[in-house]
Amino acid sequence: MGRRIAIVEDEPAIRDNYADALRRHGYEVAAYATRDDALSAFRTRLPDLALIDIGLGDDPDAGFALTRELRARAPALPIIFLTARESEFDIVAGLRAGADDYLTKDASLPHLAARITALFRRSDLAAAPPAGDDVIERGALALDVKRMSARWNAQRVDLTLTEFWIVHALARHPGHVQSRDQLMREASTVVDDGTITSHVKRIRRKFAALDPAFDRIAAVYGVGYRWDPDA
Amino acid sequence: MRAPRIALGIRAQLLLVLTVFAAIPFLGVAYIRELEGVLRDAQARALAGTAQAVATALHDRPRLFDAAPAWRLDNGAPPRDLVEAAVATRVPGDPASDLAAILHGLTRTTARIRVVDRTQRVVASAGSLQHDVALPAPGAVERLLHPIYARFLDQPVEDFREDDTSLAPMVRSEVMSALEGIASTGRRGDADPRVTIVSAAYPIWVGDRVEGAVIAEETTNAVLATRNRAFERLFTIVLATLLVGSLAVTAYATWLTSRIRRLRDDAERATDGHGRVAGALAGVDARDEIGDLARGLEGALTRLSDYAAYQEAMAARLSHELRTPLAVVRSSLDNLRQDVLPDAARVYVERAQGGLDRLARILTRISEATRLEEALADTPRAPFDLAEVVAACVDGYRSAYPTRRFELALRVDRAVIDGAGEVVAQLLDKLVANAVEFATADPVTVSLEPWHGGVRLAVTDIGPPLPATMQGRLFDSMVSVRAAGVGGDAPHLGLGLYVARLCASFHRASVHADDLADGSGVVVSVVFPLAQA
Repeated sequence: MGRRIAIVEDEPAIRDNYADALRRHGYEVAAYATRDDALSAFRTRLPDLALIDIGLGDDPDAGFALTRELRARAPALPIIFLTARESEFDIVAGLRAGADDYLTKDASLPHLAARITALFRRSDLAAAPPAGDDVIERGALALDVKRMSARWNAQRVDLTLTEFWIVHALARHPGHVQSRDQLMREASTVVDDGTITSHVKRIRRKFAALDPAFDRIAAVYGVGYRWDPDA
Repeated sequence: MRAPRIALGIRAQLLLVLTVFAAIPFLGVAYIRELEGVLRDAQARALAGTAQAVATALHDRPRLFDAAPAWRLDNGAPPRDLVEAAVATRVPGDPASDLAAILHGLTRTTARIRVVDRTQRVVASAGSLQHDVALPAPGAVERLLHPIYARFLDQPVEDFREDDTSLAPMVRSEVMSALEGIASTGRRGDADPRVTIVSAAYPIWVGDRVEGAVIAEETTNAVLATRNRAFERLFTIVLATLLVGSLAVTAYATWLTSRIRRLRDDAERATDGHGRVAGALAGVDARDEIGDLARGLEGALTRLSDYAAYQEAMAARLSHELRTPLAVVRSSLDNLRQDVLPDAARVYVERAQGGLDRLARILTRISEATRLEEALADTPRAPFDLAEVVAACVDGYRSAYPTRRFELALRVDRAVIDGAGEVVAQLLDKLVANAVEFATADPVTVSLEPWHGGVRLAVTDIGPPLPATMQGRLFDSMVSVRAAGVGGDAPHLGLGLYVARLCASFHRASVHADDLADGSGVVVSVVFPLAQA
């Protein structure tokens, strides 16, 4: 039995294209155009993963509300939101509403599929005990590559997939500068310098929330970023 | 701030208008001269009356002229005036005592009265030409100004030489006509040129024969004194009025000018050269025309700022609106590629994909500025060393642009400014990217130097100069002006320098682009204020 993915998207061409692509990857797809359609369907049966557009119809924030409602019903359900706006505010609002990750609409379909695969793997393995060889340890940082989860001083850091890959790229070679281009490739996303900067800013904030003295990610002006090893 | 280009200010204009009132003294002078003429006429008529009255008392007394002069002084001379007459001795049997008695009563007039006989000999004389003109005491201001007036107004003179032993030549014609039976009046200068004397002659009749004449004479001093006083009062009042008026007008004009100038300065400050309205205008609450002007200006500035905001938001909105159709095309192509396609079709899919990627890059650039503005809004500021950031950045550029040679000229050891190093690095990235794009020869120079209390970061490239028409607009959104040195598929929208401006204004810094003096290239400079220690 294939996994079931719900797509909530008001633009029919995009909705159908995404549905076709995901079906080709072997997923079972349920597509909805409005928030109400999606909600009533979710009451009967919850999907295994939800792909939600932020703006639905005339309501530019309908996706946030839907994400919150879905998260309330299924705390562990992976949710990805789609945004046409690359607005910092939208991203922060979407993640706070309970989404696990976000994608801008100009991401390619293979990229989307890879993201979905990774999220499924992460949720599948979340409950299983970590196997030793999959964990990278850098002082207080522990990265579980298989589960795509990060711990700082044994506390879980709630990173999105993109953020996890950025931290992973930096921490894999402590002391080495990673250019923004390299980080972009690692995160397999097409973004500009400004977006990498805001990802790094959000990563720093998440670590700083656990440890106010956190200062491992250093900006190397004109080049990129570096993970500072333990002193 | 631009220096005001005003040839004749409001103050000067109002003072110029005020010169109209300079005509008032001239009107006053004309009026007083008229008055003086009337007074002189009246004086002459009064003198004629006096002469007639005296002559009337002497008519038909033939004895009066028989033995005159009847009085003799000790030295045998006739008395010249009544004072001497008092000490003169009467010649016995002389009948002229009546003449003296009649004239004696006239010594208190302000006129000199003389009686001549037919041979024009002075038979008797009474009164004097010299009198102190009694006027009310002048006020303090008038006393102060009197020496000035005295320079151009004829002053009455009382210490002149009185010549009464003979008739002055000028008075003879009047005496002659009086002796012929015709009353006449006249004016003349005296032996002393400083005085003018008005005289009137009237015949004395004995029967139908003229036996003598009465001559009444008076100086014009009383009229002169009255005239001068009127002049002085008029001038003092006009002067005071003009002075107070000018001060009031100057004060009013100063107030008006300062309001207008403040409004002008505010209006100039309000727009930062990019149509963004930065401040409020002074005097928008005033309930007069200037207040109205300020309100009108404020309205215009608001519309300007709305338009500028609309223009800047336009790019971001456009990018947002285009993303959805772009996603449709992209996902369709992705799906198409999954199918088995003939090779010929695959070529077109790849081309479509290439165009799509370029379009996506353009949209990303367009929305970059908007995202940066959002990001800057919550970027914390802290003091940091600009020199360190610049040095690190230039190291990075050497590896990022291996085909270009970079020169770093640090003329300061430390330059601590307030802001964020990352943002400065982003700014420098844009300036260097711009320089590298247009450079036609090595090197690209990055310099940091002290600059008027701040610090100046400059990126210089050797390449085509800036077109003159675009000066000052380079840092606006969507403006790119120089012919690119190297072509390429990098989207070319001039947003880089706009992003640089955003980064600079985050540090309260100003950005300028100038041609090098010798025209060999362009220098883009950013002047940062130093952090407050």
